[in-house]
Amino acid sequence: MDLIIGGAYQGKLEYAKSRCSLSDEEIFVCTEDKGIEFARQCVYNIQEYTLYCVKNGIDALEIFKAHRDDWKDSVLICEDIFCGVVPLGKDMRDWREMTGRLCAYLSGEAESVTRIFCGLEQKLK
Amino acid sequence: MNVLISGGCKNGKSGFAQELAVKLAAGGKRYYVATMVPYDDEDRERIARHIADRAGLGFETVEIPRDIGSCLEKVGGNGTFLVDSITALLQNEMFSAGGEADPEAESRCIRDLGAIIEKAENAVFVSDYIYSDAFRYDDITEKYRASLAAIDRFLAKECDAVLELCAGNLIFHKGGPKV
Repeated sequence: MDLIIGGAYQGKLEYAKSRCSLSDEEIFVCTEDKGIEFARQCVYNIQEYTLYCVKNGIDALEIFKAHRDDWKDSVLICEDIFCGVVPLGKDMRDWREMTGRLCAYLSGEAESVTRIFCGLEQKLK
Repeated sequence: MNVLISGGCKNGKSGFAQELAVKLAAGGKRYYVATMVPYDDEDRERIARHIADRAGLGFETVEIPRDIGSCLEKVGGNGTFLVDSITALLQNEMFSAGGEADPEAESRCIRDLGAIIEKAENAVFVSDYIYSDAFRYDDITEKYRASLAAIDRFLAKECDAVLELCAGNLIFHKGGPKV
C-alpha cells in the first residue's frame, strides 16, 4: 500500500493519478455522508470517511484493520489535518484524533509514505 | 534564480527571505515589493518594524498592494524582487471589491507573478502554509485557501527552488542546499 498525505489543495490526487496512472473509475472518493469501499485501486479523501465515522459512532481504525487484505495493495490518500489549534467542538476533536491514529497505523503498514507540499513530493518512507 | 519559501506562520520566513534576496542580488539592485495594506495601528507598527529590519540591507521598497506585475513597469526587471507575501497579495486582490470575493483574483495573481518570474533577474516569494488544520471553513474562506494553494503550486512548479521553513530550519522540496 502506498500512503499519500498532505494539506488541503496541495495536489495529492493529481500526484497519485500521474504516479500510478489511475483513471477516475479506479478512485473511490470518500464523503462525510457515506461508508467506505475498498474495491477500487485508490481511496481518496479518507479524512471525509473518518468524519462520517465520528458522526455515526464507528471506529475507523477497526474498519481498516478488519479490511486489511482489501487495501494492502491500494493507494490511500488522506488530508493532513493535524497542525491547527485544538478544535472547539468535540466532534472535530474526535475527528482529528481518529484521523491521526488511523494515519499513524497506515504509515506503519505502508510500503511508501509520500507527503505532497505545493504539488511536490516529499518521501517520508 | 526564483525561489518559493513557505511554511507555518512565525517560523522565520521573512527574515530568511530577506537574507536570501540579498545573497542572490550579489550587490545588484534589490526591491522589496510591499503587499500589506495597513488597517490599524497594530499593522502600522508591524510595517514600521519590517522597514527597520530591512534598513541597511539595501532594499528599495515598491508599494504595490495589487496588480503586482506593474512593479516591472515601475522599476524594470533588472534586480532581485522580494514578494512578501503571496497571502497578503491574494487577500488584496480577492477582497478589495468589498464583501464579494473576486473570482478573477487567482488568475490575475498567477499572471502577474508569472511575469515577475519571466522578467526579473531573481525573485523570492514568501507564502504561508495554511492547509493542515481540522476545521470546516465557510465557502469564501475555502475559496481563498484553494486559490492560495493554486498560486503556491504554480510558483512551486515555476521556481528553481522551493523551501519550507520550520522553526527557522530549512526543508528543501526542490533545489538543493546550494540555494
